[in-house]
Amino acid sequence: MQVIKSWLFVLLIGLSSSLMAEVIEVRLHYVGPTEGSVWQGLQQGLDEANIQGDFLGQKYTLQPVTPAQLMALNNVTAILLATDEQQILDLAQSEKFAHIAIFNLSSDADNLRAACLDNLLSIPASHKMKQDALTQWLAQHPQSTAHVQGWHEDFKKFAAGQLNSRFKKAYGVVMDDDAWSAWAAVKLLSDTVARTQSIDGAVTLNYLKNDITFDGQKGASATFRSTGQLRQLVLLVQDNKIVAEAPLRGVKGGLDSLGLESCK
Amino acid sequence: MKLKQLILTSLVLVSATAWADPTYRLFVTNEKDNTVSVIDSRTGLLETTLELGNRPRGIDLSPDHKTLYVALSGDNAIGRVDVATLEILESLSAGDDPETFDVHPNGNLYLSNEDSAKATVMNPSTGEIIEEIRVGLEPEGVAVSPDGSRVLVTSESTNMVHVIDTALHKVVTNILVAARPRGLAFSHDGLRAYVSSEIGNEIAIIDTKTYTISDKVVVDIPRSKPMAIQISPDDKTLYLTTGRAAKVVIMDAQTLAIKSTADVGKRVWGAVLSRDGSMLYTANGVSNTVSMVDTAASKSIMEIEVGHGPWGLALDD
Repeated sequence: MQVIKSWLFVLLIGLSSSLMAEVIEVRLHYVGPTEGSVWQGLQQGLDEANIQGDFLGQKYTLQPVTPAQLMALNNVTAILLATDEQQILDLAQSEKFAHIAIFNLSSDADNLRAACLDNLLSIPASHKMKQDALTQWLAQHPQSTAHVQGWHEDFKKFAAGQLNSRFKKAYGVVMDDDAWSAWAAVKLLSDTVARTQSIDGAVTLNYLKNDITFDGQKGASATFRSTGQLRQLVLLVQDNKIVAEAPLRGVKGGLDSLGLESCK
Repeated sequence: MKLKQLILTSLVLVSATAWADPTYRLFVTNEKDNTVSVIDSRTGLLETTLELGNRPRGIDLSPDHKTLYVALSGDNAIGRVDVATLEILESLSAGDDPETFDVHPNGNLYLSNEDSAKATVMNPSTGEIIEEIRVGLEPEGVAVSPDGSRVLVTSESTNMVHVIDTALHKVVTNILVAARPRGLAFSHDGLRAYVSSEIGNEIAIIDTKTYTISDKVVVDIPRSKPMAIQISPDDKTLYLTTGRAAKVVIMDAQTLAIKSTADVGKRVWGAVLSRDGSMLYTANGVSNTVSMVDTAASKSIMEIEVGHGPWGLALDD
C-alpha cells in the first residue's frame, strides 16, 4: 500500500512538472548591424540566456528588423538598438513604444541620458562617465596618457575573465565595449523574464527599472539610474593594459561619481 | 526484502568505517602561491606547507578523515594527501578547471567544473569519472545532502541552484536565486539548505521537502559580498563570510536575523567550523591569513599567517 502511494505521488509530481514545463518563447527585436562586435555580443548573450532557459523553461530568439518593420509590430517585449543617436531618440519617443524597454547598445552620447526618457536604457558608459573617470585618474596621475574603456580583453576580476574566455572561445576575437554592452542587454532581459515569467513589455520595463540586481561580471550589482544609464565601473587603459578601475578608490559618490547622476 | 538487505549492508558499511584519531590539523589552500598550509588548529601554529599543484581551491576530507582532497584548478586535477602522515599521494585527473567539490557519504566527490558548465562525479580512490552532469554557467558551490540523496550546485552566471538526484545523476529541479550564487550548505538534519548570492547580497533558505525558497534576506552589512556558509552542529546558528566586508556574519539559522558579527581579515572567503561548533576558521584572501573565531564570544582570537591568497579550509577534528 505504502509503495503504491509513493508511486502515485511520483506519478503526480511527474504530471504536474510536465504541465508546468510550457516553454516561454521570448523574441527580442533588434535594429543594427548583423555582423561585428554588437552582433557577436548579442549572440553570446542569447547562448547564455538559452542555457539558463533550458533549465528554467524559456527560449530566446533574436529578430533583426528595420525601423519601419518595428513600427508595424505589436506585442513587443523589448527592443535592442545599435543605431545612431537620432534613430534611438525617435524610436524611444514614439508613442507606440512608450512602455517598452528600448536598449541603447552602442552610443555613448550624453544626450540620450540627459533626455531622461522612462523607456530608454543605455548600457554602455556615457561620454561624460568616461570623462569623469579620466578626470579622477589624471588628478592622481597628471602625466598619464591613459584612456577609458567600458570593457577590456584582459579584465579578469569579478569573473570578467570567465566571460572573456567564453566569448573568445565562441568567436575567436576579443570582447570589446560593444560586445559587452550587447551581451549585457540580453542577459538583463533573460534575468528579467526568468523572474517575472512574463513577456509583457510594460512588466519587463518596470522590472528592469525598479527591481533588477544584475551581475554584469563587472563587480557591484548593476542597476539603472533615472537617466536610464546602467551603473558600472569603467577601466583606465594605457598601452592596451588596464592600469586602474574608476571610480577610483576613495572618490565620493562611488559609481555615481561618473556621469550624469540623475534627472533632477 | 531488497530494501532490508540494502539497509543492513549500509549499516555494516557504516560501522566498519574505522575512524582515525583526529590530528587536529587545519589545511588551507593558498590559491595564488600553489601551496597548502598545515596548521595545528588547537594552537594556531603552522606545522608545514605542502605543494600539491597549481591553483589549489576547493578542499575537503574523505568521510573517514584519512585522506585530504584538494581541487587543483590549474592542473585540472584532484590532489590527495594522507592526513596522518602528510604524504602526498598521486593526483587524479578531474575534468576541465575543477573549482570546488563536496564529498558524498559513500566517498565519491561531486565537483564543479567552472569553465565547462558541468558537475563531475568522481571516485577518488580509483580516479574513475562516474558521470558528467550539465549545469549552468560558472558552476561554483557544491553541497551533498546529509543522506546523500541530493547534490546542490550553484551556477554563478546563470543564477541557479541545480538539484541533482544522486541515484539518477540528473538535474531534477532548478531554483532561480539572486545574482551570482556562491556558497551552499545543508542543515545537519537535512531539512533546509542555504545559498548565498554574492552580487545580489542575499542569503536564502531552501526547503528541502519541495526544493523551493522558503525565506531570504539581504545581508545588511556595508560592502558585504556573501560567500561561504557554515551551520552550527545544533542547526540553530549560521555563519556567513562576506568577502570585502571583512566580517563573519552570525545569523539565526531559522529566521536569518543577524545576531552578531566578528571582524576577520580582508576578503574573507572560505570557512570551516570545528566539529563541536566552538571555533570557526576563515580564509582571508587579501590579508593572507586565517582567522580563528571563538563562536561563543563572536570574536577573532587569533590571525595566522598562511600562503598567498588563502581560499578554502578543511579541519580534521
